[in-house]
Amino acid sequence: MKSLSQTLLKFAHLRLALLAVLVTFGAAATAGAQNPRIQTSQLDALAAKATETVDVNIDERLMQLTARFLSSKDDDEAKVKELVNGLKGIYVKSFEFENEGQYTDADLEGIRSQLRNTAWNRIVNVNSKKEGSVEVYLMQTGDQISGLAVLATDPKEITVVNIIGPIDLEKLRQLEGQFGIPDLDIERSKPKRKN
Amino acid sequence: MKKSIAFGFLLLLLAGLAHTAQAKDDDFGAVVKLIEQFYHVKHQGIPFLARAGIKTTTTVARIAGGPKRQLVETGSVKVAYFEDQDFKSKGSFTGFKASIGAALAENWSPLIQVASPKDDEQTYIYLRDAGDRFNVLVVTIESREACVVQVSLSPQALAKLMHNPDEMGETITVEATTHEQE
Repeated sequence: MKSLSQTLLKFAHLRLALLAVLVTFGAAATAGAQNPRIQTSQLDALAAKATETVDVNIDERLMQLTARFLSSKDDDEAKVKELVNGLKGIYVKSFEFENEGQYTDADLEGIRSQLRNTAWNRIVNVNSKKEGSVEVYLMQTGDQISGLAVLATDPKEITVVNIIGPIDLEKLRQLEGQFGIPDLDIERSKPKRKN
Repeated sequence: MKKSIAFGFLLLLLAGLAHTAQAKDDDFGAVVKLIEQFYHVKHQGIPFLARAGIKTTTTVARIAGGPKRQLVETGSVKVAYFEDQDFKSKGSFTGFKASIGAALAENWSPLIQVASPKDDEQTYIYLRDAGDRFNVLVVTIESREACVVQVSLSPQALAKLMHNPDEMGETITVEATTHEQE
């Protein structure tokens, strides 16, 4: 009888341990899935074929430094300070090519597969005056937007912009041309938003 | 006996700390050497810097559209210049980017890296903490010349430059090599 109860107790402990492992792995997977930072290193191989590559990495510490030390009294600086306040990073990678056909959809698959994650929502009613395609994605965590990603492509150019933190299209428009973010000429064509 | 052992350990500890500090401080030299080895070139020494007029008091920077501001303080500028040498035909851009990345990976963070093979131009800007200031290392390579500049900036100055990182390298390099006495 005693050995049966001991066996049952052991079994219960085992189940608890298994549950704990599953919860831990589940939490880790969720955290990974909701990381607004896009990995772009898989594009680096294109640099050998590109006529120009740009790689900008402004991490959280530098964003905080910028927000902290820009003056609130100077109008221009105050505007920038307000824009970057709360942002945790700006990452830009772009490639320009001499000719068309220097990259394929397969080269972009690594980026697109990350953006297919359910945590990212593509804003479909976004257009750009520029040629080619501009895809804009937002990641929402709870009520807050936690990141934005832009994949802009044309036959001779690829640009990936990844902004971490509370950001929206209006802020993105205002940030264009600053902090290494190129002019994307983004505009909203319809008020609706879909997945 | 115990005292001499303790003293020996202290000396070893200090030597180790000094070595670490020297290794950290000499990243500028490591980058200059890397360029020399990668491109088979030689940087100009002190006479050139004297000719270029690297000043010993204060370097004043003009930040685009703004008034003159003190950007860099005394003794905080290091410059190495490569003049009239061939950077065009030797080595790939991606190869050099990987090499400089590996050389600086331990202590520095890459801020901006621009490579333009069509114009034979490369710019690399790296940052690292230096107590209450920041060290900024700018490497610019063109087809016939190159420049390595390391400056120490206040957080305020860095914040102003961060606004437009595309121009940061040029601003720092120009101000460190062509300047005026205050």
